Amino acid sequence: MSTRSIVPFGPQHPVLPEPVHLDLVLEDEMVVDAVPSIGYIHRGLEKLVDKRDFKQYVYIAERVCGICSCGHGLGYCQAVEQVMGIEVPDRARYLRTIWMEMSRVHSHLLWLGLLADAMGFESLFMESWRLREKILDLFDETTGGRIIHSVNQVGGVQKDMDQGMLDDILRVTRDLEKDMKPVIDTFLQDYTVQSRLKGVGVLSKEDAIGLGAVGPMLRASGVSYDARLLGYAAYGELSVEPVLSTEGDSYGRCAVRLQEILQSFALIREAIGKIPAGPVSAPVKGNPDGEYFFRIEQPRGEAIYYVKCNGTKNLERFRLRTPTTSNIPPMVQLLKGSQLADVPLLILTIDPCVSCTER
Amino acid sequence: MDKTRMFTFAGRVLKNLFHKPATVQYPFQPANYPERMRGHVVIRIEDCISCGLCMRACPSGAIAVDRQAGTWKIARFDCVQCGSCVLACPKKCLHMEKGYTAPDIQKKTETFTKPAAQAAPAAGGGKPAADADKCVYCTLCAKKCPQQAITVDRAAKIWKLDAEKCVGCGICAGACPKKAIEMK
Repeated sequence: MSTRSIVPFGPQHPVLPEPVHLDLVLEDEMVVDAVPSIGYIHRGLEKLVDKRDFKQYVYIAERVCGICSCGHGLGYCQAVEQVMGIEVPDRARYLRTIWMEMSRVHSHLLWLGLLADAMGFESLFMESWRLREKILDLFDETTGGRIIHSVNQVGGVQKDMDQGMLDDILRVTRDLEKDMKPVIDTFLQDYTVQSRLKGVGVLSKEDAIGLGAVGPMLRASGVSYDARLLGYAAYGELSVEPVLSTEGDSYGRCAVRLQEILQSFALIREAIGKIPAGPVSAPVKGNPDGEYFFRIEQPRGEAIYYVKCNGTKNLERFRLRTPTTSNIPPMVQLLKGSQLADVPLLILTIDPCVSCTER
Repeated sequence: MDKTRMFTFAGRVLKNLFHKPATVQYPFQPANYPERMRGHVVIRIEDCISCGLCMRACPSGAIAVDRQAGTWKIARFDCVQCGSCVLACPKKCLHMEKGYTAPDIQKKTETFTKPAAQAAPAAGGGKPAADADKCVYCTLCAKKCPQQAITVDRAAKIWKLDAEKCVGCGICAGACPKKAIEMK
């Protein structure tokens, strides 16, 4: 039997955009065990509900993560709205949906770029991020911020979109769909990409359910589950169909995300076609009292928002379970039995967001 | 792995040869900001009534309002450009402008002082009190109050102020058609 050695991986590593540490137990070049540890970027944002009132906290909830900021604001606002029994105007629900789908596109394009970078495919990385920039410009135009949008507020949204902006979104998504074609072809058919992704890190359907995988990770293993089917915001009135893959390997996860980008374009078009006129926010009177548990589908997977209010302007407790938290056990499972050279890629395929996880 | 594809990016490469780059040489070439961009907060200090609502609304505590001195201060490096103060301002004298503030080597606080003629704040620094003889219980003050601190019951002829919620902005006094509210 060969001797075992432990290789520390992270928290600083070229492939990791954020700090997570793994102790990789190796037998020759094969990983037999991986011990993850987090805690390098904890900021205590949940605790801040004690110090900021429930309307201000939207801005803090958004800043939990730079990529899923739109979703965090939305999830928090919807949970508080449910507690207070506020009926959000229809137009606000559609606007939230459009922004949410745009943020899914930009998150997935970011991930595709990082994946290409992890494989050493520089030109594909730059192409993905060049396309992502167009979505960020749209965010800048419609919300005023590229990354942190600050449009969600308890009771609706802060800003309306005029017809010119909606037309711009339609035009850019149409152009992007065309530009995406060679990128999709390269990710799915290129020899180099396939040799790095196919059959690497297979997660069976049973493991995906048993270990609690969420989001594209779960759907790539063939489980038809998407929190958008719950019908929050305007999803109940749009045709959402979970994108599935049966392979369960890194290639499957990549294919699911690529398809989800195209699905998001279709949802954006459908939402813009159906968007009603009217006000974009409802008046908020008084303080929330009660508790609520709310789930939404973030680009990375299902996120859970729990709020407990006590009738004062400060909440008693806010709890956020992010998709990466539930994707860490499946990731450890993937790493067992993999080659050391595949470790960076496997960590990346769960689309980790450590800032979200540690809050 | 049915076939090996060759020159997948050849078209892109040729395009790149003859097109201008996707990036711009910022800051030598100025960036194009859209109209809505939240770059920095600006104040029309002459319209400010020093109510302090922006200071309360700021999640990062970047704004300091001094009613006595008539100053409005913002720590530019603490500001997170969320626009919360702009929403809270009852006089609409705050707004977000496009373009970022210049980088600096130390954290600076910018101070704006109200023009000398207005140095004594219009609100007088006190809380409103309604004169029961003049008040017609029209509820205009309650509707205008940014903090929803006033409750008026027309039937029972009750005018009530929640002193904890009141920030003494004086908007109710300005809104009163009978001049029944005085800031004491």
